[in-house]
Amino acid sequence: MLDTIFIGLSVGSILLLVALGLAITYGAMGVINMAHGEMVMIGAYTTVMAAIWLHLGIIWAIPLAFFVTALLGLLIEKFVVRQLYGRLMDTLLATWGIAILLQQAVRLEFGLSFFGLHIAGLGPGLQNVTVPAFLQGTVTIGTAQINSYRLFIIAVTIVMTLLTWFIMHRTSIGMKVRAIIRNPKMAAACGIDVQRVNALTFAFGSGLAGVAGVMMSGFKTVFPDMGTPMVVDGFLVVVVGGVGSLVGSILSAGILGQVDGAVAAVWNDVIARAVVFGFVILTIVIKPEGLFSYKGRR
Amino acid sequence: MKRLSSKSLIDIAFYAIFIIAILVAPRFLEEFGLNRLAKFLVYGILGIAVALSWGYAGILNLGQGLFFGLGAYMIAMSLKLSSATSLQQGSDKPVPDFMLWNAEPGSKTDLCCLNAGSFLWIPFQHQWFGILMGIVLPTLIALVVGLVIFRKKIAGVFISVITLSLVLLVRLLIIDAQPITNGWNGLTDLGTLAVGSVVFDPFSVETYYLVSISLALILILARLLTQTRAGMVLQAIRDDQNRVLYLGFDVPMYQVFFFAVSALIAGYAGMLYVLVAEFASPTFMDLSFSITMVVWAAVGGRASLLGACVGAVLINSIEASVSETKSLVEAWKVIIGLLFVLAVLYLPRGLAGLVHSGIDRLLERRNPYGTDVESTLPEEQAAE
Repeated sequence: MLDTIFIGLSVGSILLLVALGLAITYGAMGVINMAHGEMVMIGAYTTVMAAIWLHLGIIWAIPLAFFVTALLGLLIEKFVVRQLYGRLMDTLLATWGIAILLQQAVRLEFGLSFFGLHIAGLGPGLQNVTVPAFLQGTVTIGTAQINSYRLFIIAVTIVMTLLTWFIMHRTSIGMKVRAIIRNPKMAAACGIDVQRVNALTFAFGSGLAGVAGVMMSGFKTVFPDMGTPMVVDGFLVVVVGGVGSLVGSILSAGILGQVDGAVAAVWNDVIARAVVFGFVILTIVIKPEGLFSYKGRR
Repeated sequence: MKRLSSKSLIDIAFYAIFIIAILVAPRFLEEFGLNRLAKFLVYGILGIAVALSWGYAGILNLGQGLFFGLGAYMIAMSLKLSSATSLQQGSDKPVPDFMLWNAEPGSKTDLCCLNAGSFLWIPFQHQWFGILMGIVLPTLIALVVGLVIFRKKIAGVFISVITLSLVLLVRLLIIDAQPITNGWNGLTDLGTLAVGSVVFDPFSVETYYLVSISLALILILARLLTQTRAGMVLQAIRDDQNRVLYLGFDVPMYQVFFFAVSALIAGYAGMLYVLVAEFASPTFMDLSFSITMVVWAAVGGRASLLGACVGAVLINSIEASVSETKSLVEAWKVIIGLLFVLAVLYLPRGLAGLVHSGIDRLLERRNPYGTDVESTLPEEQAAE
């Protein structure tokens, strides 16, 4: 029983890391970033590359992946997303195009594979990350055997969530972001440089997804398409939780993770996913503003 | 009678050229090319379905594959039962081969009780039942979903999320119901549809004409539909929903109606696809396929039925010719991604928009004080 809950929790944690980024970018900017899943993928590849080229373990890969994906997010914001503010549907489509581009960049090794050059760690194949010894094995809590890597995921998620909460609620940039979530025009009128704050928000959200990618690389194979299901899941979490609400995202990631884990334990994985989708549809129909909505931006 | 403006005359000319082009194509193509073109024309029909719901109704349906897939599965079930292999499973009645592979030993070789769900296949022994269901089921589901969505005043992105979840949900259910749907593998090894003495073999000219004439009719009917009063109201709803509501129109009914029409077209396209490609599989309900349809429409022109249709045919033709060189397959995806980003950024009205503004410029030069006002893409609603 307890181990089922823990599996659900660790699945929920990764979902949460993905969803947190989406929640702030969607909440603050009204942008649906379909390339968010590719940030997860790139985070995972950063871990693979860091191990091969820099001999760095998974712990060091976390800040590295955060930095890489945040930088990439900044570039995407500057060259594409910025052109599309206010055209909500179009951001969804343009970022889908970017997602394809990023996948192909990894698969084709930035185009070098056409010239017969290969970069170790990239390419269309599957990659693996070895988890350091101290994260392998299990920890016994009560009667349950808990995989220690799953505990590590949960711990990292808690730290990142607290960090996000701290930035959003205790720093001046966070206050600006919250102001923009409430009312972007009014925020601009009060002298907030909305464009700059948005760019940073987007970068931070992408960085969180990169960290989620590092976590995923530890227990799943890494391949160029791995991000696509993540963005769907992350987006479902955001919608169920209520747009722009951090607490909502946290709770709904927990709920969806548990629903998935519990149904998978009783029935099977496929049905578990189906139940999650059904749950999301029901939520939108019954409470379109999300379970834990945030009054504002309306 | 109202005189047609030179612009709508040009529009009609474009429709005519396209329809004539697809009808005379069999004179220039051999069997294989014809089959391939038929497949692209089916995608063209899907493009029309997307343009109708996205361009005209402002509903971005990311689950159009659901209706396409359901239409495909319905007719594929009938064709599966009419295939030679289904008749040779040791029973006097047809039984799909995959059902026997996993059947309980000793169970009766009959659709009624082979496994828990096999009785669902019984009515599909009549091919017309499969064909009817291929149209009725997608439309019915769209009506129910549409009623819930639009009565509840769910709007914008949330519609996309619901339709997206729905298509993935159904896809998983089909995969999970392996005993009756053959799971991941889908339905293959199908029979051919025969109506009277005409046999719709995938490589025959008859099948091509079935597809191309269907496309021509759907294109014309959809175009006429958008010019009816209901079509006008629909476009008004897209541009400003509240205003139409205040004018006393029953907004949800119009939206539900066009949502269902779009689903019907997609379901019909699914059926044609099975005739041309001879299989139905859960990949029809992949998220990427549903989004790909939107790409076709976006590149061709979301607000133009013909544009979206041509966009679909064009992109797929290029893709097919590029895919013959193996190393270019992956490179083609890069081009698609790039094309999509650039189209959204710089050509929000797609190729059709480009052609339209070209024509406008020509007309202006001839008649500098012309009264044609360039139609502009309505500003999409900002985030609410």
